Amino acid sequence: MGSQSRFPAKLIIGLAVAIALDTAVQLLWKTAVSGLPATATLWGTVLAALHQPLFIVVVALLLSQMVNWLKVLDHADLSFAQPITALSYISVTLLSVLLLGEKIGGLQILGIGFMLVGVWFISRTDHVTRPDEPDSP
Amino acid sequence: MTETTIGVLLALLCTVIEGFAQTFFKKSALAPARARLWIGLGIALHVVEVLLYTVALQFLDVSTAYPIGSLSFVAVTVLSQVLLHENVNRTRWIGVVLIIIGAALVVAQA
Repeated sequence: MGSQSRFPAKLIIGLAVAIALDTAVQLLWKTAVSGLPATATLWGTVLAALHQPLFIVVVALLLSQMVNWLKVLDHADLSFAQPITALSYISVTLLSVLLLGEKIGGLQILGIGFMLVGVWFISRTDHVTRPDEPDSP
Repeated sequence: MTETTIGVLLALLCTVIEGFAQTFFKKSALAPARARLWIGLGIALHVVEVLLYTVALQFLDVSTAYPIGSLSFVAVTVLSQVLLHENVNRTRWIGVVLIIIGAALVVAQA
């Protein structure tokens, strides 16, 4: 818990909100796209999407995500904050199990472990680059 | 060119676009005087990315598109170091690599 005290509360809350919004967007986006008719053109896809209410929800969530994300970037390096949002991969997987009744396999559990360790490594680094810091270790 | 190839190429292009969009958003925080310009550019790139990713999802299963998307962590990290001069040390890179491996494993059985 000592490591968390290094980070501003606003940063921790912002990252948590970003992960929650990422999760919602991923689940709803695929659902929205699944409802589109098959079409060979980009324009046809765009027109069909504009008539899909769920797609409007996705766009609204993306806008909310952007506003929150700009606040996060006020408090942290991009190369620090962005990889941490990978935790949404875990939340998407867990929600798929809980809400959709999908089964989780050994590889997925291993993958979650890798990601948690990866995020832990990143959390060990300074969340902001100071002007006098070198570019390499 | 098969539909799958088109989908993979579009998804890869999205990871590069995401890298530049994120860099522009961070630029807005670093240079408040030109924040609107950077945010506008970032939004424009995101709009393009949304359109391309939507098309990619029509050609690809989400289990394929999702791990490709994790490569945006590489694009963002490289661009953060090169364009924003952030201190991307070895520890941060190890974290990024572990996350990408993890993301691939998480969706491997999707």
